[in-house]
Amino acid sequence: MYKARTAWLFLIPTGVLLLTFSIIPAIAALGLSFTNYNVFQPIEWVGIENFSRAFEDDDFWNALWNTFYYWILVTPALIVIPVFLAILVNQQLMGIKVYRLIFYFPALVSVVVTAILWTWMFKSDGLFNAALHSIGINPVDWLTDKFTAMPSLAIVTVWQGLGYYMLFYLAGLQAVSKDLYEAAELDGAGFWAKHIYITFPSLKPIIFFVTVISTMSAFKEFTLMLTMTAGGPIGSTTTLVYMIFEKAFTDLDMGYASAISTILFVIILVLTLINKKALDTQQ
Amino acid sequence: MELKTAELQPNIQVKKSRKLSLKNRRNLLRWGISYTLLTLLAVVTIMPFLWTVSTSLKGQNETIFSYPPNFIPESVTFENFVTVWNTLNLPLYLWNSVVLSFWGVLLPLFFCSLAAFPLARMNFKGKNVVFMTILATMMIPGEVTMIPVYLTISKLGLIGTYSGVILPGVVSAFAIFLMRQAFIAIPRDIDESAIIDGANAWQIWWHILLPMVKPMLATLAILKFIGSWNNFLWPLLILEDSSMYPLTVGLYELKGTFVSNTRLIAAGAIIALIPILIVFIAFQSYFIKSAYSSAVKG
Repeated sequence: MYKARTAWLFLIPTGVLLLTFSIIPAIAALGLSFTNYNVFQPIEWVGIENFSRAFEDDDFWNALWNTFYYWILVTPALIVIPVFLAILVNQQLMGIKVYRLIFYFPALVSVVVTAILWTWMFKSDGLFNAALHSIGINPVDWLTDKFTAMPSLAIVTVWQGLGYYMLFYLAGLQAVSKDLYEAAELDGAGFWAKHIYITFPSLKPIIFFVTVISTMSAFKEFTLMLTMTAGGPIGSTTTLVYMIFEKAFTDLDMGYASAISTILFVIILVLTLINKKALDTQQ
Repeated sequence: MELKTAELQPNIQVKKSRKLSLKNRRNLLRWGISYTLLTLLAVVTIMPFLWTVSTSLKGQNETIFSYPPNFIPESVTFENFVTVWNTLNLPLYLWNSVVLSFWGVLLPLFFCSLAAFPLARMNFKGKNVVFMTILATMMIPGEVTMIPVYLTISKLGLIGTYSGVILPGVVSAFAIFLMRQAFIAIPRDIDESAIIDGANAWQIWWHILLPMVKPMLATLAILKFIGSWNNFLWPLLILEDSSMYPLTVGLYELKGTFVSNTRLIAAGAIIALIPILIVFIAFQSYFIKSAYSSAVKG
């Protein structure tokens, strides 16, 4: 019906953009990992030097640890809590739509505004410490103590992500047949029984989806660190991508930064495959 | 059912009514717990916003950080908004954000639905390879390609331009995928009869098919608007002249320079939030739909 030539004419403009800004850069990122490119001098091939340098670099290990730490703080919470939030807002209650919108709204707020809002919440005389004060606990240096900085950022991420992932689960819940619940209720199933035997199994594909998406975004996060803590204090919130950003655009050490991006890419790929495998064997 | 013996009938009814009242009581309890939880969570969610609004309305003489925290300003004033609007180039930042978002919505819609059309409705050699390649790019995080993309933009001489900010985000595999799904759902007979009537592929795409996928275009437009309006990293990396900054980067600079003047920053943050809030309230159903369409993919 259509000529093949027509098809390609439609594909070419988009294809060129995709090649220029996604496919070629992906290959180039891998290529740059094996060079010492630093913008000013001509590119020189250095083999695996950047990778061996990374494995001996304490900053790299620190950033890697911070990235995993942030992931562990954030992802389980973003997988589990939104399920219950979705169950809560999936009820036929008056004004429930307003609640859904309220929970979802933080997902739409830009990272800069988020950083502004939450820096004040965490200030030494901010709301969190006022709340602690009222129950007689000493103030905490949320963002300026190296032990609490990352958990504080995790709180912000969870605040921002709950409503977002809630919507996915809500979509899943609304696809579950109501007859199943009614049958279970007739059999005398309570809250937990109903959800353990009906809700969670039917949400499995969405749980997988949320796990992958939230894992990916946890491993890529760095604008929150850039705007709230600048990677500090003492590097305690420097994640891999933050380190890539700093090495590339502050130190102009593009080769080394690319090598770290390659490592990050491999980590994300492996985690996604593990997730997929875990889901496949369960089904 | 109606043939049941008369003596059994009252018995059943008694049982039924007792069960009902129990169910009602349980429902009431459920409502109570649900609303309590919902309201509590909603308050926690909007707490940072409330606090910012309250701060932005406080006068210069009023303390912001106090114990116990003071949510209601002693005297409401809009002077912070006026100051921030007049002294900090906020109208300019706002306008820049509007310009960036305009192109950041229009170009992706155009290019992604352009590529989705042959992938959904034409048969040609290599189609599957092309589609698989596009899907494979979803696996590559933007953070991994950040450096080569920056170098490409700089080689193209686009540092310091809006093109440099917008172009990297124009094509996304996910948007092509969504548009392809929308195009596939339209019956193929439409193309055939249009071709018989003498229409060419471009006319079919522009005049017939695009109007039929408006809901998906709207969903995508909203996703892209939020993305462009909140875009922070690329404008920060690419733009050099502060008069070209969008609101996000402008606020980021503001946060750095006016650390002490919390009221002004609060007012600026509120101004940045308002457009998102308006779009969100106006098009709420599309937001839900966009979550559905991405969840289906997974």
